[in-house]
Amino acid sequence: MGKIKILAFVLACIFLVSCQGVRKEEEKTSLRIGISLYRGDDTFINNIRSILEDKAKEYELEKGIKVTLDIQDAKGSQNTQNTQVERFISLDCDVLCINLVDRMDASVIIDQAMTAGVPVIFFNRQPVEEDMNRWDKLYYVGVDAKETAILQGQMVVDLYEESPETVDLNGDGVVRYVMLEGETSHQDSLIRTEWSVKALKDGGVPIEKITGGIANWERSQASALMEQWLTAYPDTIELVISNNDDMALGAIDAMERAQVTGVNVIGIDGTTPGLEALENGKLLGTVSANKELYASAIVELAASCALGQALPEEYPLTDGNYYWTPQEILIHEIKENP
Amino acid sequence: MIGRRGKALIIVYVAFLAVLLLMCSTDLIIREPEREVYQVAVIIEDMRSDNYSNFRKGMDQAAMEFNVDVHFITLYEKLDAAQQMELMEREEQDGADALVVVPADEGQVAGKQMTIPVILLRSGLTQGAVTGNIIIDYEKMGGQLAKEMLKDIPEDASIFLLVDREKQSRADILFLKGAGTVFTGKGRSIEMIAKNGDDGGKVPLESLSKRTEKKAVVLAQNQEILTEAAGVLANSPEAAESVLGLYGRGNTMPILNDLERDYITGICVTDDFSIGYLSVREAVRVLEGAGSPPVVMDSYYIEKEDLQEPGFEKLLYPIE
Repeated sequence: MGKIKILAFVLACIFLVSCQGVRKEEEKTSLRIGISLYRGDDTFINNIRSILEDKAKEYELEKGIKVTLDIQDAKGSQNTQNTQVERFISLDCDVLCINLVDRMDASVIIDQAMTAGVPVIFFNRQPVEEDMNRWDKLYYVGVDAKETAILQGQMVVDLYEESPETVDLNGDGVVRYVMLEGETSHQDSLIRTEWSVKALKDGGVPIEKITGGIANWERSQASALMEQWLTAYPDTIELVISNNDDMALGAIDAMERAQVTGVNVIGIDGTTPGLEALENGKLLGTVSANKELYASAIVELAASCALGQALPEEYPLTDGNYYWTPQEILIHEIKENP
Repeated sequence: MIGRRGKALIIVYVAFLAVLLLMCSTDLIIREPEREVYQVAVIIEDMRSDNYSNFRKGMDQAAMEFNVDVHFITLYEKLDAAQQMELMEREEQDGADALVVVPADEGQVAGKQMTIPVILLRSGLTQGAVTGNIIIDYEKMGGQLAKEMLKDIPEDASIFLLVDREKQSRADILFLKGAGTVFTGKGRSIEMIAKNGDDGGKVPLESLSKRTEKKAVVLAQNQEILTEAAGVLANSPEAAESVLGLYGRGNTMPILNDLERDYITGICVTDDFSIGYLSVREAVRVLEGAGSPPVVMDSYYIEKEDLQEPGFEKLLYPIE
């Protein structure tokens, strides 16, 4: 009887084990990364996307591991992004890199990823802390919005200290500014708005807000707002503070149409069109994240997670899950007349 | 104590489990519905995928409709045919069912023997080992653009072809050839200006005023150089003063924006969404045993005012 019991037990164990499936660990020679962008037509995100492609190729050449990127545009719809994630998982992506549409609504993506055991690197749009704490295979790559804003304010403070007349254009002792804000649902928008102004005040620049508006990160919306402000407040605006470069360029477009010159415009992101405007002197300054490092961090983190390797030391994580990309001030060199 | 009957029941139970295990593992009971997903690798000739935005949208649409897993591969070096052929082999070994290739060098790539179907996007129908062809006649496109230009430009304007000899694809050469034939056929003289000439890699539009006393009209060989030239016109009053019109091909977002802002006068475009869609569809047709006759794509000339035309709007800004 004992033998029969043992035989029955062994067979039952075999059955259970077979049903669960024994996963044999094999060394991976290829990686598939599913990337979903909140909006493919966002200039900053488009820049990051191009660099991601380059970094994936560099990784492939350096490590000899084939990297396939599946890049999808969620077009501003969280439902679309959720469906894309579902497809990535069904296509056996090893890791997901997600630029969330709605940072408050990451739960569906996290649920799907956790069920499938696929790690997620969020970037640019930070999920709320409760979501990030749900699993130890969730990471975030971005910039410290407070640092960005302080740097943006600081560039004007430095300029004001050096030569007040380049900032206080009419010399009345007050710098009058307008503020162009990004989406209200984006964590960076509120922080950039608050802390750039705070940095200006703390730095001793006498400022006065004329007006402000939400242009949702978009050049065309910012251009329309600026057009209205130029009509409503003629010869008054001395400084345009923008939450990003695209909106700053929108303000410049409006000023060009209205043939207004001399107003200082500052942005954030250091996008390709932003840097061109900086070079031409249309944009006074911008705060740029090191985009090479930004994209490298995403690719390296994703690859390490997918391969089950230790996370690279070059990208130190804060609180175990967050990588903050270094930033710098880029300012247009004002050439003095000989 | 278990009796004989009990023992027999245990044996029957164990045997049942064993049979169940065998049946499950051989799909005899739980048969997953068979839904074949074709793996199609798309290998372009470029290092960047930005220029293929609408093409990718079309591919994604076809991927959803035909249940295809499409992945997009760019080169480490632009127009590197040897590397492109290595990647074709790699994808074949990695299990791709079919390839869609935008060739870096049509002659070499079309002649490459592969065991899986290859759909080639090419500028003309020539012999080769490929299975299917999507044809964009760049020579005809160049001719079409030149005819449209001649309707607008004054008789005394100088015509310049803006080229980048270091990065010239077969499509670029055919495009310029087509335009050149029309211009010379109408008795207009043309002059080449090279990007990589005396200006150290810059688009030399500022120096045009020194080369001709007449107003200059410029035709750019491809979308990259067209975008660069538009950038020069936007930022250099000297260049803008000497150039009467800038023409070219391609429909990337920067080009369309520059057309809207009047830095570009006119462009020839293809329906990239349809090209992407058809390339994946043709791959699936071949995989399912159907033939794949060559598909010839049309090109269209557009100016700023055409951007809002419903037909062109759909073509230039396709919604997936």
